[in-house]
Amino acid sequence: MEGGKKLKKRFAITTLALVLVFLSILMFYEPHSLKEATSRYNYFAPRVLYWGTQGQDVKNVQWQLVKWKYLIGKVDGIYGPETYRAVRRFQAKNGLRVDGIVGPETAAALGITLSSTPVSAQGVNRQGDEYLLARCIHGEARGEPYVGKVAVGAVVLNRVRDPRFPNTIAGVIYQPLAFTAVADGQINLTPDKDSIRAARDALNGWDPTYGCLYYWNPATATSKWIWSRRVTLKIGKHWFGI
Amino acid sequence: MERRRWWIAPSILGIALILALAWGYNEYRTKNELGVALENNYQRLFFDVKKHIENVQVNLSKAMLANSRDQNILLLSQIMNEAYFAQDKLAQMPITHAETAATEKFLNQAADYSYHLIQTHLAGKPITNEQMAALANLQQNSSAFNEELSKLQSELADKDFLFTALNAKQNKKIREANQKIFQTTLVNIEKNMAQTPELIYDGPFSDQTLNKKPKGLDNKDVSLEEARRKAREFFGANRVEEVESFEEGEHASEMRIPSYTFNLYPKNTSRELAVYMGVSKKGGHVLWMANPRPINANKISIEEAQRRALRYLEEKGFEDMEPNYYLKYDGGVLFNFVNTEDDVTIYPDLVKVKVALDNGEIVGFDASAYYMNHHDRDIDEPELTLEQARERIKTDFEINSSRLAIIPKGKNEILCYEFKGKYRGADYIVYINASTGHEEEILQLIHNENGTLTF
Repeated sequence: MEGGKKLKKRFAITTLALVLVFLSILMFYEPHSLKEATSRYNYFAPRVLYWGTQGQDVKNVQWQLVKWKYLIGKVDGIYGPETYRAVRRFQAKNGLRVDGIVGPETAAALGITLSSTPVSAQGVNRQGDEYLLARCIHGEARGEPYVGKVAVGAVVLNRVRDPRFPNTIAGVIYQPLAFTAVADGQINLTPDKDSIRAARDALNGWDPTYGCLYYWNPATATSKWIWSRRVTLKIGKHWFGI
Repeated sequence: MERRRWWIAPSILGIALILALAWGYNEYRTKNELGVALENNYQRLFFDVKKHIENVQVNLSKAMLANSRDQNILLLSQIMNEAYFAQDKLAQMPITHAETAATEKFLNQAADYSYHLIQTHLAGKPITNEQMAALANLQQNSSAFNEELSKLQSELADKDFLFTALNAKQNKKIREANQKIFQTTLVNIEKNMAQTPELIYDGPFSDQTLNKKPKGLDNKDVSLEEARRKAREFFGANRVEEVESFEEGEHASEMRIPSYTFNLYPKNTSRELAVYMGVSKKGGHVLWMANPRPINANKISIEEAQRRALRYLEEKGFEDMEPNYYLKYDGGVLFNFVNTEDDVTIYPDLVKVKVALDNGEIVGFDASAYYMNHHDRDIDEPELTLEQARERIKTDFEINSSRLAIIPKGKNEILCYEFKGKYRGADYIVYINASTGHEEEILQLIHNENGTLTF
C-alpha cells in the first residue's frame, strides 16, 4: 500500500513537471518568433548606428547617454563596446528592443534626429547595402580568414554587375537558392565587426577574386552543377570561380 | 484520500493532450497559410514574367516597323522597362541559377541594348543595318521564349503544379514530376538563349565591356618566384618574415587580370594578421595590397594622411596623381587618386590608397582600375571652349570649379568639361562633352563627416 501510494505521488509529480515544461515551451515559443519577425523590419531603417559606426551622429548619441548617465566615458564619435553597452542599458530601461543598435525608435527616445542633409540627398546613403552585405558575409563566411570574407562580399558585388544575375545587392543576396546562409536564416544573425569591415572594404572596391562570380566549399557543396564552374583561386576553405 | 486523487494525473494529461492538439493544429494552419502565400507570390511572378516578355516581344516588332525617331524612342524605353521587370521577377523565382543564367543575361542585355539605341537615336544617328538585325534577333528570341512560356503556362494549368514544391522537402513524387515539366521548358529556353549571337554595343552589360582586357600591363610574363620577390620588395623586404602564395585553380588564367596572390607575414606580428597582395602575371605589377590590421587611435589629420599617400604613390612610380575624394572608415582613410596628363584629369586611371590614422602607415593600395585602363592616350583638342560648354548647363547651377576631364563611358572614354557646383543646396558634377556639347553625365555628391560618396 505504502509503495503504491508513493508510486502514484511520484507519477503525479512527474506529469505535473512535464506539463509545466510543455506549457512553458508553448508560452515562450510564440513571442520569440514574433520578436524575430519584428526585428527584421528594423534592419531596413533609413539610418542606423551600430558597432563600428563613426561620426557626428554617434557623438550626439554619446552626448545624450553621458548626460543621462548611461555612459561613463568619453564622447569620441566612435561606436565602440562602451557605447554599445550604454545603448543596451538605455534600451532596457526604456522598454525598447535591446539590440545595441540605434535605429529610428531608439534615436527618437534619445531625442535625436539622425543626420541632416539637403532634401534631394535625404536618405541617400550606402548604409543599408553595407549592413545587408555584412550580414551576408557573416552568414556565409564566418570562420574564414579576413580576405575570404572580403572575397565573398566581392562575389556578391561582381554578380550585381553581371547580366546573368539580378542588378541590386539585395536582389543578388536574396535570389532563391543562391546562398545557403540566406535559405537557413543565418543571414539574420547580427554581423560581427570583421564582417562589417569586410563589407566596407568590398564596397570600396577591394576584389581579391579578380572578378569571380561563384564560390563553394568543396567539403560541403551539394550542387553538382557548381563543380562545372571554372576554378581560379582558393581562399580559405572556399574555391572561387567564374 | 486516495479515491479523491486518482483522477488528477489523467486529467492533467488530458488537458495537456488537448493543448498539444490545439497548438499543433494552429501550427499546421499557419504553415499552410504561409505556404499558400508563398505559392501565390510565385504564381504571380510567373504570370508577370510571361506578360513582360509578351510586351517585350510585341514592342520589338513595333520598333522594327516604326519609322519616326520619337516613336522608336518611346517603344525602346518600354522594351527596356519590360525586359528589366521580366529579369527582376525571373530572378525571384525558386529556380537555380544554372537554369536561368542565359535567360537573365538575354533580358538584361535586351534592356541595356535598348538603352544604347535610345542614346543613338537621341544623338541623331540613324539606326544601322547591324542594329536592325540585332533587333530582329532579339525579337526572334523573345518570341521563342514567349512560346515556351505559353506551353508551360497551359501545362501548369492542367496539373496541380506548385512552385513551392520545386525545392521543398515534400512529397518526392510531386516534386520530381513538377521539376520535370518545369525543367524541360527551362532547358529549352536556356538552349535558345545560349545560341544568341553576341550583341555588339556599348553598355555596362555588353559582352565587350565584361570581357575587357587590361590595357596597362607590361607584356613580359613573370614567374611565381619573381612575383614573390616583387611582393616582398613592395611591402619592404626587411619587414617581411615569410611570403606564402594562394592556391590557384585550373583556370587561373581566366581571371579578369591573371595574377598571383600572396599572404605576407610581417615580422613581429601574429600570423593571424597577414598582409594580402595581388601581383599581375603579365609585367609583375602589384595590383593591390591590403593590410587589414585593427586601427585604434586617430592621431594624424586627413591632410597629413594625404601627404603620406602621395609620397607613397611617388615611391611606387605613379607620377602626376591628383587626390580626389576620400572616405574615412574603420580608423583609416581611403583616398581616390586619379592620373592627370597636360592638365586633363583622367578618371579611368584610378588608384586607391588607404592610410591608417594611427601611425600613417599605408594599409591599402588598389591599382587594378589603373592597370585595367591606363594606356598612352592621344588627347584631342577640345572643339568647344569652356564658355561654350558652360552655356549648355542650367543657368541657376552655381559653378564652383571647372576643368577638362576624361570620363569612362561603357568601354570608351570621352573628353568632357567638368563643372562642379551647387544646385538647390546639394552638390553636383556635370560633364559636358568637349566636342559635341552633350550633357554626358551628372553626378550627385553626398557629403558626410566621413567623406564623400558619388551617386
